[in-house]
Order: sequence, then C-alpha cells, then structure tokens
Amino acid sequence: MTKVTLNVNGETRTASVPPEMTLLRLLREEFGLTGAKLGCDVGDCGACTVIVDGKTVNSCLMLAPQADGRDVLTVEGLATMERLHPIQKAFEEKGSLQCGFCGPGVIMSAKALLDENPDPSVLEIRDALAGNLCRCTGYSKMIEAIQDVARGDNRQPVGESA
Amino acid sequence: MEKKPAAVVEREARVETRDVVEMLRAPAAAPLVPLPLEVLVPEARQQTPAVRQRATRPDCRLHGLGQTKYIDDMYLPGMLYAKIKRAGIASARILSVDTKEAEAMPGVVAVITGRDVPVNSFGPSLKDQPVLADERVFHAGDGVAAVAAVTEQIAAEAIEKIKVEYEPIRPVLDPFESLKLETPGLHAPNPNIYGHKVIKKGDVAKGFAESYRIFEGSYRTQMVEHVPLEPHASIATWDPNGRLTIYSTLGRITLGRADISRTLGVPMSRIRIIATIVGGNFGGKNEITTEPVVALLAKKSGRPVKCTFTRPEEFASSTTRHPLVMDYKTGVSREGRILARQIRLVLDGGAYCSWSETTLGKACILSAGPYQIDNLYAEAFVVYTNKTMTGAMRGFGAPQVCFAYESQMDDIATALNIDPLEIRMLNALKEGSLSPTSQKLHSVVVRETLLQAAQRFGWNGNGARS
Amino acid sequence: MRAFDVFTAKDSRHAVALLAEHAATSKVKVLAGGTDLLADLKFASASHAPDVVVDISRIEDLRSIAVTGDGLSIGALVTHTEIMRSPLIRDMFPAMVNAAHTIGAVQTRNLGTLGGNLVTAVPSVDSGPTLVALDALVTVLGPAGRRQMPLAEFFVGPRKTALKPDELLLEILIPTTSLGKPTCFLKFGLRKGQALALVNVAASFWVDRARNAFVAPRIALGAVAPKVVHASTAEAYLEGRAIAPEAMVEAGRLAVGDAKPISDFRASAEYRRDLVAVLTRRALEGAYELAKAKQSEK
Repeated sequence: MTKVTLNVNGETRTASVPPEMTLLRLLREEFGLTGAKLGCDVGDCGACTVIVDGKTVNSCLMLAPQADGRDVLTVEGLATMERLHPIQKAFEEKGSLQCGFCGPGVIMSAKALLDENPDPSVLEIRDALAGNLCRCTGYSKMIEAIQDVARGDNRQPVGESA
Repeated sequence: MEKKPAAVVEREARVETRDVVEMLRAPAAAPLVPLPLEVLVPEARQQTPAVRQRATRPDCRLHGLGQTKYIDDMYLPGMLYAKIKRAGIASARILSVDTKEAEAMPGVVAVITGRDVPVNSFGPSLKDQPVLADERVFHAGDGVAAVAAVTEQIAAEAIEKIKVEYEPIRPVLDPFESLKLETPGLHAPNPNIYGHKVIKKGDVAKGFAESYRIFEGSYRTQMVEHVPLEPHASIATWDPNGRLTIYSTLGRITLGRADISRTLGVPMSRIRIIATIVGGNFGGKNEITTEPVVALLAKKSGRPVKCTFTRPEEFASSTTRHPLVMDYKTGVSREGRILARQIRLVLDGGAYCSWSETTLGKACILSAGPYQIDNLYAEAFVVYTNKTMTGAMRGFGAPQVCFAYESQMDDIATALNIDPLEIRMLNALKEGSLSPTSQKLHSVVVRETLLQAAQRFGWNGNGARS
Repeated sequence: MRAFDVFTAKDSRHAVALLAEHAATSKVKVLAGGTDLLADLKFASASHAPDVVVDISRIEDLRSIAVTGDGLSIGALVTHTEIMRSPLIRDMFPAMVNAAHTIGAVQTRNLGTLGGNLVTAVPSVDSGPTLVALDALVTVLGPAGRRQMPLAEFFVGPRKTALKPDELLLEILIPTTSLGKPTCFLKFGLRKGQALALVNVAASFWVDRARNAFVAPRIALGAVAPKVVHASTAEAYLEGRAIAPEAMVEAGRLAVGDAKPISDFRASAEYRRDLVAVLTRRALEGAYELAKAKQSEK
C-alpha cells in the first residue's frame, strides 16, 4: 500500500491505496467524489476529466501515487453553498446536459479553457472539448453555454440574481 | 468446504494491508459537497408552450454539479463486485466449466455458471438468449460464468482462473450463409430465418413492364454499437423475506422485471426494480443484461452485488444496430416518377433475437421511403449469425433503409439528368397518400419540408450550393 | 488493473538504476505520461502485465527545451502541450506544434510526453515524421552510460525500438544543421480529434536561393510501413532540383514507391498510397510556403 496525500477541492486528503490504483478510483472509491465518471477507462471518452495543477487530465490514466502532493479540482469543487459556478449555471440554462454522464468532464474541460482563455472562439472551444465525448451529441448547446460564460452573460451568481 | 467465511477473509486482508495511521483515521465519511439549493419544482398540470421555447431539464442541475447518482456511483453496505467471464469463441459446445480455482481465491465470495440459472432463457419476443451460456456458445460475448468478490480487481482475476472446455463449432458469420436452407440450424429447433415480413401493394410486374428504365442497386450498412457513455450496470440485494431489489440502468423496467422474474423463477410481486438516471440508452438498454447474474450472486453470497460492464464488454456483449443488405429494384417513367419498386432486406440478427422483430417490421414498412409508389413488393428476412446480437437502436431499422432508398434516388436522378430535389418533389407523399401498408396519411409535409430545407442551405440544383 | 509495484525515480540516473535492479528478475514498464501505458494495462493479459512500474513522471531533469551547442534539445518528459506552447519550438518548427496538436485531445496532451510517444513506436506515431525529417537524434542512458543514435534507427518496428530493457530515453536532439529548416507536417485521420493517422507525412528542405532549388530535402512517412521511413527515392529525386510544382507532384508519386502500406479496418493499402502521393506534395508545398515567408521576413 502507498500513502498518498493530496489537495482535493481545497482540502488536504490522505489515503492508503494499492500502487496501481488510478486517481479516478481514488477520488470515487476512497474520497466518495463520484462526479468524475468511469466511461471507457482508456482515456478516450473524457468522462473522468479532472484538473490537476491547473491542467485537465484523464484521471483514469493517472496513478493515484502520481497525484501525491498535487492540487486536484473535481466538479464537486466548483459550486459553493451559495451559488453555482457560472459554467454550471450556463449549462443548466442552455439545456446543455442530457443524460449528464459526460457533464462533469465537459464542465472541467470548459473551466480549464476559460481559466486560460477568457474569450475563446468556437474553434478553440471545440478543440478544448475534443477529448470529451457526448453520445447524446449535445455539443452545440455546450458550446453556446461556454460562449455565454465567456461573454459574461452568466457571470452573476445564481443566489444573488434570483 | 474449508474456506473461511468471506467476511473473515476480507477483514484479515484489510488488517494486513493497513498501517497504524490508517487504523486511527476517522471512519470514511462522504465529503462535504455544496448543494446550492434553489428548489426546482415543476407546477402540476402546467402547460408549457413548446414551440420557440428553450428546453431546459430539471435534472440538469444535478448533472452539472456531479451529484446525479448513476449505478456505478452507488454503494450498498457490504457490497460485492461481480465480473462475468466471456466465452471469447463465436460458436462452441461447452464441455465443462471448472470454477474450483476461482472459488478458492481469497476474497471470492460466490461463483455461478449457466447451470445455476433457474430458467436460462429470456428475450423481449423470442426467449432464445441465455443469462449465462450453459450448453452452447452462440457468440464471443456470451457469458459463461460469473464471480462476486470483495473487490473488482479480485473478481477480474478470478474469472481468469475459471477453466472452460469448448468443442468449437464452425461459426456462421455471413447472413447469406445463414439464409441458405442447407446451413445447419444455429438455434435448433428455431430456424435460421427467425423473422420474415412481406408487404405487397399493386402489381410490381405490371409496373416494371410500363417503366421507361429500371434501376437495380445493392446497399449495405454496418453494425453500430450504441456506446452509451455510462456502461450497463446493476446492483441486486435480497431481504430475508426473499424480496429482491435491483437498481438498474434498464430503460424498460416493466419488461425487464418480467424477464428477471422468468429467469430467477421468482414471482414479479417479489421483485422491485429501481430505475436510476440512465447515462445514455439509445435503445441499447432495453433488455436485461447483468440483472439476473447479480441477483443470483447476491442470493448465493447473502450480500448486495454490483456489476458494471467494461467498455470492451459494452461492445461485445450488449446489443447493436442491425447490419442490413438491401437490394432495390426500381422502375421509373421518363419523367422520373417511380412506377414500381421491389425490395429485399436481409437483416443480420446476430446471436439472439432481441428486438429484431420490431426492427424487421419497421425497416420493411419504411423501405419504400416517403414516396408515392403504387406497385410495391418489399420482403425482409432476419437471420441468426454467430455475432454480437442486434437489437433496438434509434429508429429501429429506419436509418438503414433511408440510406438505401435515398442513395438509389440520387443514382436515378443522375442517370435521368433530373435535379435530385426535383425527383423527390415529384414522388413525395402528399396529403391523403396511402402508405405501403395502405394507411391513409394526414399532415403530410414532405414537400414543404424539402423546399424549406433546400432554401435554408441554398440548394442550387445538381448537387451544387449557391 | 492488475497489481504491480511502483518505484518512483528521483532523477534519470535513479531511473536507470531502478530499471537495472528490476529488469533482470521482473517484467518492468516505464511510466511517463501514462496515456499509452495505463490504457494498455487496463485490459492487459497476465502474460503482458508488468510486476514493476518505474515512475519517471516526477523527474525534473528531462523537462527542458533549450538550444545548446549541439542543436535544439527536448527532454523526453516534455509534454505535447508544452511543445505546443514553447515559443522556441513554435518559432523554429511550427510543424512540431502542428504534429503535437494532432495527438489525442487536451487531456492526453497534458499528460502524454514526447519521449513516451516515440518509445511506444506505433507506426502512426504522430511526433515521428517531423523529427525524422529533421534528422533528429535521440540520447539514451543505460548502466554503461549514454549513447546517441538517429531517431530513424531508434525505431525498429511496430512498437519496437532500439531501447534495451535497462535503458531510458533522455532527450531528443534536432541537430544545428536542421535548426529553422522549413518543415511541414500533415496528418490524415478519420476524424479531427483523437484519431490515429491513416497516413502522416513530414517534408523538410532548405532552399538554394540563387538557383531556387531543393537542398537536403527530407520526406518522412508514417503509418505506411512498420516504422516511420524516409521516402528515399523521392528525396534523391528532389536533391538539387529546381523548385517547381511538377517536381513536388513527381516527388509525391515517387514517395508512394517508398511506402509499404497495409490494408486494415481503417483504410486499404490503395487508399493509403493515394494519400501518400497527395500529402507528400502538400507537405512540400507547405514547407516551401514557410521558406518563402521566412525569406520575406529577412
């Protein structure tokens, strides 16, 4: 067993895991954070996307010990008790999520994109989402929602606007 | 049996592997997850104007927060994980299944084979599919045994320890070979052709005789997997009164309950199915897959059992879209009006019937296309092959035949030097037209739709855009 | 995934020591970005699975991108994303940026490394053709010390390299003679994102300005042979020849003869041969456009 200590959504967490455990399983099975999904387990579908040290990764392709000492942000770390994250709000308003299974991964990819590039073109959004498959094929509404957030249509928090 | 009780083995394994610091850690608790609650309550009987309104979904918020619980996100106390051993051979007789070594593995709690299934057959129409193959393997994705263990990893290693002896039988992979009478029955006593439909209207011989030209073409489509992002999954748990609860990704729970009841030999009144939010169905989650397996393993082990398909299993062991071979013969007038059409469809049904009958019917009825054809003969067959079974998928055969009739329409337009839009406008169904099965059609707007579409994307005739 | 032990290397010497220690007695795999290795191990058979994984992903001395006296040195652990964002590489070799951009998707490019991509050595390796066309060298470290070889020779066959079990790929070196050489990489896949190349091609040459002729032309073809290969016949044909559209078309035709494509479920050999001809010509055109742009800059 290997002891790993990492910062998850702003909180230091520790677990003792078999060395072959992936970051995805660590998050889901040890920490109870089931937002990131296991879709293909080989890095194709992007349902397991989380942000590690500011960059999106397929958490199914990273071993838990590799994440030791790093900062991990999952979809559960976006909203606060008071408000949704603007991306979550825009996805809700645009009806961007259908079955929802790809949603947490897509939202994390969108978050990483907007953090780096606050005003992406449609092409840049498509490129950023290329690693997130949506079998309901609801891509258009996701792109619209991300554009909305970039334009600031959705910057105001939910709690305050209501 | 000298085996230690599962709980003891598991506890020992845990104690051995955890260090002192780990033991002192506070018991695992779900982390604080923010839930910004702004309650979404749809008003009863509220009439929502649909047209020009944006569609939003009340479950969208949970999805976006990552709080929707799909099956794989759920855990019941004491739950075990199941894996199914796949045959990996397209056609064979099973001579023996040896599970001793798997059963002896630490952490393995229960093992079952096809012989443990009370009634080993199910299906939405024909009951031709086994829960786990017992005597005969019909396709490589067939399950032959299943294991429940304390971790997924142990279960996966245990199924490798199961030894199955096969007597290979030459597989039939080509639907046309299956169609031949001399090919031995794959599912004897069922015939290889397990579904057949004919639609007749008018007199095709007369129509062809009056035709200016006759076009013949053969079109094929491939097998398509639904690939829902969420793999098939289920959890089964029994109570001491013999009542079974199954959490499942099933799309049709009432139908699924009938099949579960049949295979387990348990009355439907004792079975409760909880349909969770499904991470993509597209027709692929319309019948039971893992449910009887987890139910039997849960019964044998006395603990809840979960089984989630791996992505490879999703491709090999769930249903797919029927591949079709479609032969079209169409007679047209000098102006391009369709005078007669004769169609033969061969559906490759794969190993089991599943929703083939529905697909066969729909493909046959829709095979003429949205066109007014007075003389029509359409015939469709669905046959068994030793491939992954085919079943329901968006459109039930409609997309396949659309590919054929529209491809041929383009061929005809090119040959007669008619604009592809024109030839469709000429033949399209009208208000009050009769369908191939002689149903009088209302609200027919094929032409209006075509014209609007052509206008929207700037159709300029002859395949060019303006 | 099957159980294995993970040993984390502190630096490249430590990694080689770990490899030497375990390679003799166990099946060992090296973990860098993990995008190929872990995907393979998820469904690996018992005979294929390693007992020991040496994790080199934390090694800091294999992450630099720098121009040295020998040329442009790129550490084996530089990720595809880092290649795309390196001002140095973008300026000198936009083809490398384009090649990196065609690999996987954002998530896999953030994890996946140049070294890992080359060591995996699939015939369609997307970072291969550009580097082969630039006559890149690779440096490997083993118990006996360092050795260097051309990348074209490092590739041995499908998923096979000249790397021994106790050796580690350290860096990729683009020699000074190739620095700034106009190069174009093109890939044809069935989709834009996350696609394997049916064919990928890189073309590179200097322009003799006085005669407007090809100098040191290099054409590298991927996915059409067991490994990335030079289109030697086409290269020989172009050497010293005046730059003209017809010459590029002819080079494309000749490159087809240098390719040995197979038919598989992605494409037929015939289709791949057509792609070789077209992509080679376009890559030559692209490199020439770049050469002209560079000239006008000066």
